[in-house]
Amino acid sequence: MTLARTAALLVAALGIAATAAAAPPAVPPGSGFSLVRSLGGIDEYRLDANGLTVLLAHDASAPVVTFNVTYLVGSRNEVTGTTGATHLLEHLMFKGSRNFESAGGNSLKQYVERVGGNYNATTSTDRTHYFATVGRDALQGYIQVEADRMRNLSLRESDRQSEMTVVRNEFERGKNDPDNVLIEEVRAAAYEALPYHHPTIGWRSDIEHVPIERLREFYDTFYWPNNATVTVAGDFVPAQALGWIREYYGGYSASPKPIPPMYTEEPEQSGARRVTVKRPGELGTVLIAHKVPVGLDPDQAPLAVLDAILGDGKSARLYRELVDKGLALNAGAGVDVSHDLSLHMMYASLAPGAKQEEVEKALWTCLQAIQEHGVSVQELERVKHQWRAQQAYKRDGTAGVVSELNEYVSIGDWTLYVKFPEMVQKVTAADVQRVARRYFSEDTGTTGWFVPTRTGESK
Amino acid sequence: MLDQWRARIPAVWCPRRAAGGLLLALLLGTVVARAGIADHVVRSHEEGIDLILYPTPIRDVVTVVGSLPAGDALAPAGQSAVPTLTGMMLDRGAREGSAAGALLDKYAIASRLENVGAAVSFEVGNQTLDIRARCLAKDLPLVIELLAAQLRYPAFNRAEFERVRQQFIGAVRSSIDNSSYRARDTLNRALFAADDPNYPQPIDALLASARAAGVEDVQRFHREVYGPRGMILVLVGAVDTVAARKAVATAFRGWQGGREPLPGSRAGVTPPARQVVELASKPSVTVLLGQATGLRYRDPDSLALRVATSVLGHGFTGRLMSTVRDREGLTYGVGASINEDSYSGGAFVVSASFAPQLLDQGIDSTRRELRKWWAEGITEAELAQRKQSLVGTFQVGLSSTGGVAGALLSTAQRGLDLGWLDRYPELIRELQLPAVNAVIRRYLDPDRMTLVEVGTLPAAKEGTVPAAAPR
Repeated sequence: MTLARTAALLVAALGIAATAAAAPPAVPPGSGFSLVRSLGGIDEYRLDANGLTVLLAHDASAPVVTFNVTYLVGSRNEVTGTTGATHLLEHLMFKGSRNFESAGGNSLKQYVERVGGNYNATTSTDRTHYFATVGRDALQGYIQVEADRMRNLSLRESDRQSEMTVVRNEFERGKNDPDNVLIEEVRAAAYEALPYHHPTIGWRSDIEHVPIERLREFYDTFYWPNNATVTVAGDFVPAQALGWIREYYGGYSASPKPIPPMYTEEPEQSGARRVTVKRPGELGTVLIAHKVPVGLDPDQAPLAVLDAILGDGKSARLYRELVDKGLALNAGAGVDVSHDLSLHMMYASLAPGAKQEEVEKALWTCLQAIQEHGVSVQELERVKHQWRAQQAYKRDGTAGVVSELNEYVSIGDWTLYVKFPEMVQKVTAADVQRVARRYFSEDTGTTGWFVPTRTGESK
Repeated sequence: MLDQWRARIPAVWCPRRAAGGLLLALLLGTVVARAGIADHVVRSHEEGIDLILYPTPIRDVVTVVGSLPAGDALAPAGQSAVPTLTGMMLDRGAREGSAAGALLDKYAIASRLENVGAAVSFEVGNQTLDIRARCLAKDLPLVIELLAAQLRYPAFNRAEFERVRQQFIGAVRSSIDNSSYRARDTLNRALFAADDPNYPQPIDALLASARAAGVEDVQRFHREVYGPRGMILVLVGAVDTVAARKAVATAFRGWQGGREPLPGSRAGVTPPARQVVELASKPSVTVLLGQATGLRYRDPDSLALRVATSVLGHGFTGRLMSTVRDREGLTYGVGASINEDSYSGGAFVVSASFAPQLLDQGIDSTRRELRKWWAEGITEAELAQRKQSLVGTFQVGLSSTGGVAGALLSTAQRGLDLGWLDRYPELIRELQLPAVNAVIRRYLDPDRMTLVEVGTLPAAKEGTVPAAAPR
C-alpha cells in the first residue's frame, strides 16, 4: 500500500466511464455544496461552510466503497526539530478522538475491523492520507468516525510516549535494508534546501524528542477542512454520501489562519554529487538521481514515457543492457513525482561479480543513447499501448482509483488523473529525446553506491 | 505508514523499499466470496486442467491465476534449485504451438505481451509453480496461447540457462542479508521434517545445486513434473466462458503428465526451542515464534483455529497489537497467523520486530499474551466480533477480479468445492466458543514453540537450544 503513485496512473472505471457521458450532476438546493467541475466521471464539490473539497467517483460494479481524506501536509512542511512530525501525528490519529475511543469500544480501528474493512494511512513528502474500503452499508459509520478526528483528536502525551517507540521501530526496520538507507542518503544529497532533504520518517532524535505541544501545533495548523480533500469511490448514492459528509464535516469552520505556504526553493546544483553507503551486505546497488520539474509540469508525461522505455519489462533498454548482460539482477527508472522539484532515479541491483563502476557506466550509456539517437516508433507505441491497457486495469477495484487520485491531489491537480494518460498518448519521440537531453547530465546528478563491506552474517 | 518512495518505479524494485505504517494483513488467507458464487462459476476439465471461469461485470479486464504442482518440494535429491531454475526458464523462450513450432525467444514473448499491455508471470513456491496474468479481454486468446507455449514447450536455450543461473544465485545471495527471509527460512526448517513439502532447502544447498545444475536437469524436471494433472487455471472478469474453454482446450490439447502436490511428512521432528541468526547492521530484530499444527486448511478444526488465531493476532484490535504495540509501544508490528496449510499440515506463527534494546521485553510481552490466550481462551464477545468481521471481509473482497480469482484458486487448491465460499459465512457463524477454545489447546502449546531471532542482537546468544520435549 505504500507505492501510491505507480507506473500506471490511468483513467476511469466502468461506472466512472458511464457517468462521464452523462450530464453534470445537479446540486440539490440547500445541499451545502457547490459543484466545481466534472471530468472523467469524477465530480468535484466544495462544501460551502468550510471549503472542504469532495471528489465523488461512482462505480457500482461491486458493493464496496473506498473513502479517503487527504491533508495537504507532509514532511515538506517540517523543519529541523520536527522532522517526522507529520508521520508521528499520522500514527496518533489512530489513538482516539473525542467521540470515538478504544475505551468506549467504538474507535476507528474497532469500527473498521468489526465491519471487515481494510484501512490504513500513509505519509509522504507532500501529503498525509487516511482511507478505508468497507461494504457500502458501513460507509456512513466510517465517515462519522473519520470526520471526528479531523478536529477532535485526543492527542495525549501518554499516547505520544508509547507511539514514539512504535515509530522508532518502524525507523529501525527501514534501516535493516541498505537500499532504503541509500535512497535516503541520495535524497539528502540531491536536495540541499528543499525539505525533501530529510526522510519522511524523520531523524531518529526528532522522532524521540518532538514534544506533544509541537505535534498539537502541527495538528492545529494543518488539519482543517479547507486543507483537505475527501474522495469517495465505489458503490454509493451520491446525494446520500454528500449528505453524510456535510453532516459530519460541515460543523467545522475553515482554518482560523491561512494554511502556511512552504516557500523554500532549491538552488541550482553546481556540480556532480556522490554518496557511498558502506555496510554489511551481499550485493551492491547503483542509484543515479536527477532533479526534474514539479509534478504539474507538462514534461512529466515525456519523462514517464522515457522511464517506461528505459525500464518497463524485458523489452526495455535497461533489461537488455544490464540484466541480460549479467551486470544487474534488476534495473529500472522512475520519477518520484512531487509538489516541488521531483526526483528522477535510475537504479540497478548488481549481479554477483559486477562492479559499481561498470554498472554506473552502463546506466549512463542507456540514457546517452536516447539523448543522442532518440527512441524508436516501436518503443513509443509499446509504451502507449501499455498505458491504454492500464486505463482498463485501474477500473479493477476502488482502492486503486482513490490512491491515484490522492497523489494527484497532493501535487495540486486531481484532474491529471484523467488528463495525464491523455498527455502520454500525445508524447512524441522528439519530446522524449528533448527531456532526456534537458534534465540529465553528470553535473546535475547525484550518484549513490551501496558497497557491501562483507557478508552480513556474523555467525 | 510511510510513503517515501512513490515514484513511477517498476514493481521489481518495490519489495526492497521501506514499508511502514498501519499495515493490516488479510485475516484468513483469502476469504473472498459472495452469495451464489458457485452458481456463477463455470468449472470444467479441459485436457486434464481444472479450469474455473467466473465472469464479472467489469469491462475489458481479465485476471488469470493458476498453479501447477512443480514447486521446490518436487526437486530431485540434491537438486533443490532445479524447480525454480525451471520456472525461471519459462519466459526465456518457447516453441509456438508444438515442440517443432517456431521459436519465440524471450524478446518475442515479451513484445507480444507488452505491445498490448498484458503480463504473464511465473513464480515457484514450495508446492507449486504459480501463474499470474492480466490482459484485456480481446487479448485473452493471445495470453492463453503464450501461456500454453511457455508451460509446454519452453526452449531451454543454454545461453539463457546460464543467465538464469546467475540471476538465481544473485537472488539467493541477496536473501542471505534479508532478515525476514532468514527468519521464515530458519523457522520452517525447525518445524518441518526434511521430507515435508514445507521444509525449505538451506541457502548453501540452493547455491550448490544451482552451481552444479545443467540445462539437462531442468529439461528432465520439466519432462517429469510439468503437465495438466494437478493444474488449476482460474479466469475472472470479462470472460466469455464458451470461448475461453475452447481456447484453453485448443492450446493445451494432448498435453500429458503432471504430478499431484505432496502430502505432509509423517516423520516427527524435535524442534529447537530457540534459534538465532545474527546479521550485522540490522537495528530491528525479526522475531518468529511458531509451531507446526499438522492441520490442513480443509481439516475440520482448521477454521476454529484460524478464528482463534485472528483474535490473538490479526489487525489492531487483535490482542497482540492492542497490547504489545498500542499499550506498551514495543514494536511496530506483531501478529499471528496460520501458514502453509493448503496442501499439507501448516504452522501457527507469531511474528514481530523489536529494537535490540527492547528485544527481551518484547518477547516476554508477546509470550505473556500468547500464554494467556492459550490458557484462558478467547471470550464470547471476541468471538462475536470476529465473526462479524470475517463475514464483512467477504463483501470487501469482492472489489477486484484479483481478489475473487485468488479466493477461487485457493479454495480449489485446498481441495474444497467452490460452494464452500458460499457456505463460509454460515460456517463462521456456527462456530461455538467451547469448540474454538478447545482447538487452541488441542493443536498448540507455547512450551513447545520455536523462537527465532534474526538481526543484530544485543549480546551473543546460543544458536540452538534443544526442544522442551519431542513431538
